[in-house]
Amino acid sequence: MNNQKQTRGLAGIFGRYYGLVILLLLAGAFYAFFKVLSPDNFGSLDNLYFYFQSSIIYSVGACGFYFIVVMGLFDFSIGANVILSAIVGVVLSREYGYLGFLAGCILCGALLGFINGFLYIKLRIPSMIVSVGLMLIYESLAYYAAGGTKQILDPALRVFGSAPGNILLALSAFLLMHFLITYTRIGTYINAIGSNEYVAKNMGINVDTQKLLGFVLCHLFVGIMAVLSVSYGTSMTAATGMGSMVRNFTPLMGTFFGLTFRRYGIAVPAIVIGEFIIAIIFNGFVALGAPTTIQNIVTGAALLSIVALTARPMKGAVVK
Amino acid sequence: MTAQDSTVQMKQSQWGQRLKAVYPLLGLIFIVSAFAVLTKGQILTPRSIRLILSQVYPLLIASAGVFLVMTIGSLDFSQGSLLGLASIVVSALSFYSVPLAILGGILTGLAVGLLNGFFHVRFRIPSFIVTICTMYLFRGFCAYLTTNAPVSAIPTITAFNQDWIKLCFAGGVLAVVFLVFHFSKLGVFLKSLGAGETATRFSGVRTDWVKILVFAAAGAITGIAAFINVIKVGSITSTAGNQFETQILIALVLGGMPISGGAKSRFFAVPIGTLISLILNNGLVMIGLDTAMQQLVKGLIFLAVVALTIDRKALQTIK
Amino acid sequence: MTTANTALKPVLQAVGVDKSFGITHAVNRVSLDLYRGEIRGLIGENGSGKSTFCSLLTGIHKLDGGHFLIDGDMLAVRNQIEANNRGVSIIVQETGTLPGLTVAENIFLGNEKQFTRFGVKNTRAMNRRAQKLLDDYGFSHIRAAQAIESYNFENRKLVEIVKATYFKPLVLIVDETTTALSQSGRDELYKIMQETRADNRTVIFISHDLPEVLSHTDNISVLRDGELIDTVKSAGTTEDDLKRLMVGRVLDDRYYRKDYGERQAGSLALSVRGLCVPGQFDDLDLDLYKGEILGIGGLSECGMHEVGKAIFGASYHRTGSVTLADGSSINTVTEAIRKGIAYASKDREMESLVVNTTIKDNIILPTLSQTAAVKPLNHKALKRFAVKYANQLSVKMTGVEQYVNQLSGGNKQKVVLARWLGKDSDIYILDSPTRGIDVKVKADIYALMSDLRSQGKSILMISEEMQELMGMCDRILIMKEGRINAEFARSRDLREEDIIQKML
Repeated sequence: MNNQKQTRGLAGIFGRYYGLVILLLLAGAFYAFFKVLSPDNFGSLDNLYFYFQSSIIYSVGACGFYFIVVMGLFDFSIGANVILSAIVGVVLSREYGYLGFLAGCILCGALLGFINGFLYIKLRIPSMIVSVGLMLIYESLAYYAAGGTKQILDPALRVFGSAPGNILLALSAFLLMHFLITYTRIGTYINAIGSNEYVAKNMGINVDTQKLLGFVLCHLFVGIMAVLSVSYGTSMTAATGMGSMVRNFTPLMGTFFGLTFRRYGIAVPAIVIGEFIIAIIFNGFVALGAPTTIQNIVTGAALLSIVALTARPMKGAVVK
Repeated sequence: MTAQDSTVQMKQSQWGQRLKAVYPLLGLIFIVSAFAVLTKGQILTPRSIRLILSQVYPLLIASAGVFLVMTIGSLDFSQGSLLGLASIVVSALSFYSVPLAILGGILTGLAVGLLNGFFHVRFRIPSFIVTICTMYLFRGFCAYLTTNAPVSAIPTITAFNQDWIKLCFAGGVLAVVFLVFHFSKLGVFLKSLGAGETATRFSGVRTDWVKILVFAAAGAITGIAAFINVIKVGSITSTAGNQFETQILIALVLGGMPISGGAKSRFFAVPIGTLISLILNNGLVMIGLDTAMQQLVKGLIFLAVVALTIDRKALQTIK
Repeated sequence: MTTANTALKPVLQAVGVDKSFGITHAVNRVSLDLYRGEIRGLIGENGSGKSTFCSLLTGIHKLDGGHFLIDGDMLAVRNQIEANNRGVSIIVQETGTLPGLTVAENIFLGNEKQFTRFGVKNTRAMNRRAQKLLDDYGFSHIRAAQAIESYNFENRKLVEIVKATYFKPLVLIVDETTTALSQSGRDELYKIMQETRADNRTVIFISHDLPEVLSHTDNISVLRDGELIDTVKSAGTTEDDLKRLMVGRVLDDRYYRKDYGERQAGSLALSVRGLCVPGQFDDLDLDLYKGEILGIGGLSECGMHEVGKAIFGASYHRTGSVTLADGSSINTVTEAIRKGIAYASKDREMESLVVNTTIKDNIILPTLSQTAAVKPLNHKALKRFAVKYANQLSVKMTGVEQYVNQLSGGNKQKVVLARWLGKDSDIYILDSPTRGIDVKVKADIYALMSDLRSQGKSILMISEEMQELMGMCDRILIMKEGRINAEFARSRDLREEDIIQKML
């Protein structure tokens, strides 16, 4: 058996470690790049710790996004959900403390996910389009839930806004994600549906139910992201006019990292490390003196490059 | 089923098709009547009509361009950032000469459109992903260029803010798009592409080039809309054009444009959809709804209209 | 019950099983008995119904008539998992495993319940069980927890074998799997088949490789045109016997050409040298003359379908040359159409027609793609153009504004031909032109082909139906495994048996 292991090549032998090594090398490379260019404002251990804490918020969202993107679906309403769930959580926290806060955010998130999935299945509209409409609706609902004012989280309840609370919560989310992907059937089924929906259905998998479940799980994680966001930022303001769209895309980048490294079996670490890399890039540019507006440019360019490099549809396949 | 029965059935469904084409117009009439009643006739006063018409031009022009993109079944989410960037270019160049400014706007739009088309075709990335990325990219540029202050155009440019000028531009663009769509072979190709890309390619149409052309055209057309935008507002902030692409999407959908494009794409979705969208926006304001409620209503109507107009047979697997 | 009796009772019975796809009567009231401890070969040429029969058995398609009995009980399943639960299992020809999943996940797909308690799937146990199965089968080099994408096609097939047999199905169907495997892979498969038989269970073995079928089966059932012709004992049967059973038809020439005389072929129209599409066919040479109908025949996967596409310029990774009489070479679809080549694909609805648009748009499209860029369209003229050619082929429609997706199969094909007639093409590449079309329209199409031929046009007809090749072509090329294996000339004495020799 040992001989056979040796003959299987680098990726075969190390499998998951191979993927991890690539990610860490990438992180190291970007870090080194910016560190060399601006040794003083960037890259001290404190800074890194800070970048890490802000990146894990997005990583949690990325975990949620993963459930639907794997199946080939999309959802523009994630940002609006973060806002709405956070506001609901804060409002409930006034009466019921931490219990209200957590239950409000997470349950509201999951409920919205259920609505998304349900409408998607019943109306038979592409997920992209139905989520645009829902984004508009959730933003308005958030506005009403907030009663028109900025919702500030009571300082006494901000344990998830800084270490170790935020790290512990995020870690729990990552463990939950790993558990779901590895030890439940939905983990297998979302991959099956994403690979070949027709075959999956033929193997007796109820595709509609699994998609609905995927939406609920996605938004459950979005609820957790809401807890982290509002704890970190201490308050949440309702946005209208589709201002929530902005919150959709940083998590999406982590999801793409997760998808790319999925074959090594390290989806969750890939998401976390990926978001950390993005945080390094953002802050690296800021340390170089670029304005914060550079963030968007970097997001756009990075996302485009990642997708261009990883997308490998068959020749002649129809891409709209 | 006898041959006669099937012919009768076929003729009936053709009438059904013709009826479906009229729905958007009926929708427009319905919404005008509904708001006429709800606002107690206020929406029909000359003042409010003029108000609505003053908002119509950039949306109308840009929608004509995106209409072409949606006909082939693609989406363009970069329109807003494009509008912002092109507006900045127009403003900056307006100090040299106005025609140059207009040209600059168009070329900016063209360049962004080509970028979109290139990445979509060359790397086979779905258009919505490419255009979301470019939206981000160029939104960042806009923000960067307006970091210290909004970019102002030459103050005299607002002299161009006359209805007849705007009408000429809008009318011109609509006329050109209409003529191209109905009377050039490109129009036939676009509808075919949207309805069946592989078969269209096997019929000798160079589908890759057509796609790049369509994105470039949509970009260039929005460059014209940028000029209209500048002459109205005079200076551009970092949020210029924010969410413009979603406004366009909603307008076209309300006008009866199928999401997947194809043969059922009708040009009249552009003017009718724009009008419905604007009347809806202004009507909701007039009724006295606050911004959040307006948005809620719009979201619900959008979902309802899409659910009713979507051509489920054309979408083979719905993702 | 005595052992003698149980041995006589069939484990699987098909009773009057019937299935049609539109016009095509794929399985025509087939009744079949299978017994325990038997390896039954199932053979037949293209379109004989063997694959459809199996897909009915495993729940992929629904029966139109008749029923299946397994051990005396009704078998009515809706998907593969239900079929597995009743003891029927299949190993398919193409890839039956899903990328994105691990080996263990693939093996137990749909069956995870045995490892799941309170919603928690015991992945470690599943992986262990999967690895044990792999080890038992002798496939220890495949690791259960690895992503299946890290293994090549052959190893994935081995996983599929485990997936299909680990639960000891009563009836195992091996559907043309051996062709894609190396010798060691095949040996594994034969071993499994023999073990199944030794365990008093049954195998249905489908293959085109007649020697293989003869040496590895106990009995062989032969299907032809959806009907069961006969079941023979493998021992004592020869290849020729089988081939005779597979074809033995009387040539029904009512619809085909009546002439057998002088070849009217004129000068060279198109010449192909060293054409190659990796994975499909290799080093192909052929010449096509004016005023001739050249046929290409063979088994479904011999590569002939890709040949048509390649000549038209629509294949990716094509090497070799396609040259016309005037010396110009054809490399892209646009060039092909401009030079007068027409292509009717086997995949009508995806490649030959834009079904979600009007008949008119379909007919004018190839011609339109070649006109000058800025000429304004004259819709009246275009409509007249479309009507003219639609009528020339007698397309049954309510008008050219009707959507193609409302037409019957035969009329859809007529629209395909109308567009190429409208383009005034000189060379017609027709792939499976009469597949799934009713007899009347078939006759119309054959008449059209004869007509074009006498006008001096060239036709390359690729078809899986031997009858029509024999009835319509001046010359027939037979392909086997990606190469041209034989050429036949049109003759009254040509027999199906001669042709099928070269196909298999």
